[in-house]
Amino acid sequence: MEPPVKRILVGPDSEKEVEFDPAAFPLMPLEQGTTLVLRGVQVHRVTYANGRLLVNGKEVQLSLADPRDRRRNSNNNADSGRRDIKAAMPGKVIKVLVEPGQPVQPAQGLLILEAMKMQNEVRSPGTGRVAAVRVAVGDTVASGQVLVTLE
Amino acid sequence: MLEKILVANRGEIAIRVLRAVREAGMRAVAVFTEIDRRSLHLAHADEAYPVDSYLNPESILAAARRAGAGALHPGYGFLSENADFAALCADSRVLFIGPTAEAIRSLGSKTAAREVAIGAGAPVVPGSDGAVGDMDEARRVASAIGYPVLIKAAAGGGGKGMRLVEEESELEAALRDASSEAERSFRSGEVYIEKALIHPRHIEIQIFGDNHGHLIHLGERECSIQRRHQKVIEECPSPLVALHPEMREAMGEAALRIARAAGYTNAGTAEFLVDADLNFYFLEMNTRLQVEHPVTELVTSTDLVQMQFEAAFGAELQLRQSDVSWRGAAIQCRLYAEDPANEFFPSPGRIDRLRLPSGPGIRLDCGVYEGWTVPMEYDPLLAKLCVWAQDRPRAIARMERALRETEILGIANNVAFFRQLLGDARFRSGELNTGFLDQFFYRPETELSESELDAAMAVLAAVEPLAEPVMPATRSKWSRR
Repeated sequence: MEPPVKRILVGPDSEKEVEFDPAAFPLMPLEQGTTLVLRGVQVHRVTYANGRLLVNGKEVQLSLADPRDRRRNSNNNADSGRRDIKAAMPGKVIKVLVEPGQPVQPAQGLLILEAMKMQNEVRSPGTGRVAAVRVAVGDTVASGQVLVTLE
Repeated sequence: MLEKILVANRGEIAIRVLRAVREAGMRAVAVFTEIDRRSLHLAHADEAYPVDSYLNPESILAAARRAGAGALHPGYGFLSENADFAALCADSRVLFIGPTAEAIRSLGSKTAAREVAIGAGAPVVPGSDGAVGDMDEARRVASAIGYPVLIKAAAGGGGKGMRLVEEESELEAALRDASSEAERSFRSGEVYIEKALIHPRHIEIQIFGDNHGHLIHLGERECSIQRRHQKVIEECPSPLVALHPEMREAMGEAALRIARAAGYTNAGTAEFLVDADLNFYFLEMNTRLQVEHPVTELVTSTDLVQMQFEAAFGAELQLRQSDVSWRGAAIQCRLYAEDPANEFFPSPGRIDRLRLPSGPGIRLDCGVYEGWTVPMEYDPLLAKLCVWAQDRPRAIARMERALRETEILGIANNVAFFRQLLGDARFRSGELNTGFLDQFFYRPETELSESELDAAMAVLAAVEPLAEPVMPATRSKWSRR
């Protein structure tokens, strides 16, 4: 009999400590990446890849952390007031609408990205000033690449 | 007899047509761009030739010559509605499977199609006489028909180059944007203006003609569920037409009048807008096979692509209007790599997991596979999930079942969105219009029940400490860090 395991369940914007008993969760692995979990007689279908889960078709981002690792790195996040605006998806820069030093309002357009023949305006999330424009018209950008830095 | 047909397209539609080529007992020839070297359509071909773009006529025809293909099917999009390309094929002695260049020319541009429809006595939406030349003309036309108006690309489709203009102050910017988008998408910046009907239904009629003067219609498709003027769900029959069967005849007759006036052959679709009083207005003719053709095939027991081949080769149409019958109900959901929680924005990337439905009444036209990376350069359509059942309620139930079997991980997609949409009371009532999705609020379902959370943790604990994609064989591999 294995003892209950202590873990921190980390969601996209919250986390909580959980304790559970592995023996209570019979896993029935199907094809690679998909596992059935029986809770009593109830069948749950869980498909997993790279930190994302589909639980009965509901997509969630969850991970388990070890409580002992956690205590060490809890003092980052000093907010410098600078904010990087990143590309939500890969694309091509069609137009840059702001220049360094320019003040911006919430929802003001910063630049236009094109992907899959769709144009999307990347907008400012708040009030601030453009510290730097990191890309130029014609650049192909990767998902997560910094486009503009606001301050 | 022809031995080879080249399919000048990619993705699910290339596969649909390549399958038909093989079923017709011919060799299937695919083309591919550098980006598509690992695309699924190549697996359905006997031969594959590189091209520099699906939009480059010379490159496509060079591939046809190298292959010795006597005929070419354009699919939809790309060069499918390009009259010059159809003419170039004829000059190169490659049979273009579709309408003639002349028919495409006279109906392919929306403005030209309007003229034909007016001449044929079919009702049209009030709008400009052809493309608008300049800002002054645009302003004059728009105020004459009254705001709101729609600016549309004359050569367009799929909502590209389209802008809704609520008032005159927005007209100039909208005209400029629409024209430049149209130029990029269709290589023609011509736009025209039309009165915007508020929340009409979008219902279209499938037509088909041979080279011997036979023209028939195969009934309607309801395509009112749209986002950004692009369809996401299509049905046959239309729930509205099911209530008013005389509409099928009336719209079918109008579509055939327009087709006859243009000397139309092969497959085509007349799109209509229908207002709340059941008036219908001809919108445009799509001179090609439609994305949503499977729902018509399922209900009328036809194979439109085989019919296209046969008509193009000069055979007489076997199916006569009186033979066409409609049985049961079909629904299609377009599975897209897009984020329904973020204005349906395209979401290219790697498909980490892909589970596809099967079983009774399912037709899946899929263009992707697990592990493949959806490229950002092309349309984000992944697959078309179609179901057939005896009636609409049963078709909805079947689609819900099929969607539960469908799992996609790694890229944002609209599977969960469809699951919610099919459960919507208004959708189930069949009271649809093109404003439907503006009033439908999708809430991504991320709340797990207690027992689902346990299940998720059990899988995470088993999987996370191990390097992906190793899965535990038994629970004895429980991790302990």
